[in-house]
Amino acid sequence: MALACGAVLASTVPAFAHGASASPARAATAAPTTAPSPVPSATAEPTRSPSAAPSAEPTVAPSQVASVPRGAPDTGVAPVSKSSDLSTTLIGGGAAAAVVGGGAFVVVRRRRATGA
Amino acid sequence: MTSLSRRAFVTASAAALLTGCGGGNGTSSTTNSSANSTANQGSSGTGGSQQGSPTPSTGSGAKAVHALARSVPVTLRVPAIGVDTPVMRLGLASDGTVQVPPITAHDRAGWYRYSPTPGATGPSVILGHVTVGAYGDGVFRRLARLRAGNRIDVVLENGTTAVFAVTAVRTVAKADFPSDEVYGNVDRPELRLITCGGTRTGSGYLDNVIVFAALTA
Repeated sequence: MALACGAVLASTVPAFAHGASASPARAATAAPTTAPSPVPSATAEPTRSPSAAPSAEPTVAPSQVASVPRGAPDTGVAPVSKSSDLSTTLIGGGAAAAVVGGGAFVVVRRRRATGA
Repeated sequence: MTSLSRRAFVTASAAALLTGCGGGNGTSSTTNSSANSTANQGSSGTGGSQQGSPTPSTGSGAKAVHALARSVPVTLRVPAIGVDTPVMRLGLASDGTVQVPPITAHDRAGWYRYSPTPGATGPSVILGHVTVGAYGDGVFRRLARLRAGNRIDVVLENGTTAVFAVTAVRTVAKADFPSDEVYGNVDRPELRLITCGGTRTGSGYLDNVIVFAALTA
């Protein structure tokens, strides 16, 4: 009886070892080969969905500038006051010219009156 | 003698008038020189527009630079043109145009607060005047003189400094303002400095000078 059990165990252990060493290896090789096939199909689907997502995003993508202003910015006020300064200078110059001219006229009249 | 006195009077008057006009001309030449300098800025800006990439977001290898955390700008420095100015916040005017800094003696630059903060991904927009009316030159009077590669520092409220390099300088007609290029999305942190330029008509300018820059550090 003991011999029979030993014989059975002895015959089964190698069978397990054999089977275990072979079947896991095959299962391991089979599993990855079968697993990748679902995986690619799974990755193929995500690639479809991302490819669809970016095509939709540009239209939906929020603007980095929250509110785009209208038209061009008015960032230059010309120094118009300088032109008014110019006009005042011209007016002042004209008045000065009139004064000088009048003075010259008076001098000439006096010289003429004195006979110089 | 009468004819002599008349001649003397006419000569004196003419000399005096010439003197007065000479003063006026002197003033006008000053004005013209400032106008010419402005016009030169514009023209140089036009020349500058031909350097750098017209589409700044696609033209450099600075993509490796990481975007900075959001923090509002407080100081702008552009060493090449002597700009060192505080930065205020600008919004939208009632007519939908962008607000501009106030016309003051020592005007400042302004950050458009609906644009990304400098250093964050996207086009951050800072505006400044080229001239400020009676006060003369504005803070961005020499903006058109910038060239590709010039450095721009923006100090942020959190203490960090966003360092940009100019990629392009363009002078564009206000009628054809490139809103998409200025305000459109980009894939890296960029900066736009905007002022007026080109031909001056009446109280304004026909063009805008736009400096495009990208974050380098």
